[in-house]
Amino acid sequence: MDIMNIIVCVLLFSGLFFLTGGAVGILRFPDFYSRLHPAGKLDTLGSLLAMTAFALFNLHHFSLGALLTSLKILLIVVFIFLASPTATHGIVDAGVRAGLAPWTKGEKRR
Amino acid sequence: MKIIGLIITVVTGALLIYAAADFPAWSDPASPASTYLSPHFIEKTMEETSVPNIVTAVLADYRGFDTMFETTVIFSAGVVCFFLLRISRREEEEPETRYYRHVLTGVTIQLKEGYKMPPSADFERIDAVWTPPDLIIKTGCRILIPFVQLFALYVIAHGHHSPGGGFQGGVILGASVILLAISHDLRTAVRRMSEKLIGILCAVGVFIYAGTGALCLLLKQNFLDYSALAGVLHVDPITARSHGILIVEIGVGIAVLATMIWIYNNISSAGRYRQGL
Repeated sequence: MDIMNIIVCVLLFSGLFFLTGGAVGILRFPDFYSRLHPAGKLDTLGSLLAMTAFALFNLHHFSLGALLTSLKILLIVVFIFLASPTATHGIVDAGVRAGLAPWTKGEKRR
Repeated sequence: MKIIGLIITVVTGALLIYAAADFPAWSDPASPASTYLSPHFIEKTMEETSVPNIVTAVLADYRGFDTMFETTVIFSAGVVCFFLLRISRREEEEPETRYYRHVLTGVTIQLKEGYKMPPSADFERIDAVWTPPDLIIKTGCRILIPFVQLFALYVIAHGHHSPGGGFQGGVILGASVILLAISHDLRTAVRRMSEKLIGILCAVGVFIYAGTGALCLLLKQNFLDYSALAGVLHVDPITARSHGILIVEIGVGIAVLATMIWIYNNISSAGRYRQGL
């Protein structure tokens, strides 16, 4: 049980924690905009942490090929980090333009 | 007319079911495919074509005819979409109205057919259903699109070693241009890839594939037997088969790329090319 394994476990479990939170949020939040909030933020952070854990775990037996694979995984992280919030922003924007009013306290869930 | 179509469908379906009854049972180890075809591909692909990815070798070399006509099907899908949806300029009743927006003040002017706008950097042409420019989406897509295209080229070129090839890479390439059309507007995408260019590319892709096959025929081998290209490429016949696969994959990629954009442009603008989604 070396220090690398502990780091990987911590990253992986925090990633799983955020992904679970995102899934619960998508199911439980009251309206379109608030449901997109966990979808945009928690999924990005969760997959970011989990992917970083994969990249680190892959470096366990260090070699040039393993380093290359880890770099590719980190590239996935970068692109999720760019694309997922942008897509969520676009969807929210479309909702506002289509005239969907945000939910306020006291209203029914929809 | 409907009844004739129904009869043809039912007869074709019945024939297919009748023919399917003659197939060997599911995962039958004694079937011809499992007794000599699959073992041959698994054991001999590397020494016959020097392609590590058996799927690619089977797809583009051993079953080259099948893939060539798949490419033709994609080509005809694009052409059919064009012929069904595209409305040419002459058949229209209402004249086109253009909208221009002054970038600094946001004042919009409307021009009827026949009036021309003096060329000016202060005015930009906008769609009739206009959405304000979104800096986040535009910048995000501008950063992502080059990487998407680079990855598409990687997928096409790396089909020999990993999952991928012409179809997948072509779809990703087409999606990058469609992303441009969605994040900016259709006019920007059409300015980058005009309709004429798309039509030509669509045919060029199929032509590269069929032309490679015809070249093999001219070099005194069977149609699509890439080992005939050894003399042209200055390599041994086995490596020539590997290179031949790459050439046809590039052809497939070009055809799929052009068809994707063609279909998107025609459907999203309802064949008028005035404004997209």
